[in-house]
Amino acid sequence: MRTLRAAAAVEAASLLTLFVNLFTLHARPVTSLGGPVHGTAYLVVIAATFSATVGGASAGARGRSFVPGVGGILVLHRLRRYPGAVRATSGDAVREGGRT
Amino acid sequence: MTKVLLSAHVLGAILAVGSIAMAASLFPRYAKQALTDDEEAGGRAGGVAALLHRVCRGYAVVGFVVPVFGLATAAQLGVLTDAWLIASMILTAVAAVMLATVILPDQRRLLAMPRPGAETDGLKAATSRLTMLTGIFNVLWSVVVVLMIVRPGSTTGA
Repeated sequence: MRTLRAAAAVEAASLLTLFVNLFTLHARPVTSLGGPVHGTAYLVVIAATFSATVGGASAGARGRSFVPGVGGILVLHRLRRYPGAVRATSGDAVREGGRT
Repeated sequence: MTKVLLSAHVLGAILAVGSIAMAASLFPRYAKQALTDDEEAGGRAGGVAALLHRVCRGYAVVGFVVPVFGLATAAQLGVLTDAWLIASMILTAVAAVMLATVILPDQRRLLAMPRPGAETDGLKAATSRLTMLTGIFNVLWSVVVVLMIVRPGSTTGA
């Protein structure tokens, strides 16, 4: 979930930066660095959503993760409204110091 | 700018893919120990296995940096259609699919195996399979790294 939140923020912010840059300065470094940053964030949002949620009709979060730019934010909103879609993490075993 | 992109690409490859390769190759041994050793040692091994699985899963997400920045670098250098690059992209895709669809689910399944009465035959088969798959996964990455360095057919030096 922490990954998802960070990636959602980066996804939206980097796209905004790219557009602002496109319509104003159009500085090349911003374009060539911002592009890959946004692309990475977009993919991380999708991957993090799929690993943090359970599939099924009730979820709908997975589909939203593909929306460009604001997908991560939409997913976070969706998960806040439907907490049941969040998968019980198997990673908690580390904190418990044993097997799941 | 190409240098910055390439640095991010290489850094991601070393930190993310390197961590996954290491953690994934250690995982089967500890997962097996967790189920076969006595209570105390088994519990400790189980904790280690859970951590290794978490490293694999966490860094797999970070690993997206590698192909994205790699593509950006290649686009700037104008080498996107070179055969060595296409070959390494295909191998990377195969390795990524393997990690997401076989290795991580298998790890999760091993972690979820109940300890008492775990039939050792099934356990042995499962860990051997995972060891083999992880080996193939690591070999794929090694081939990609060699392709990136040797760049057969490339005219841009080295």
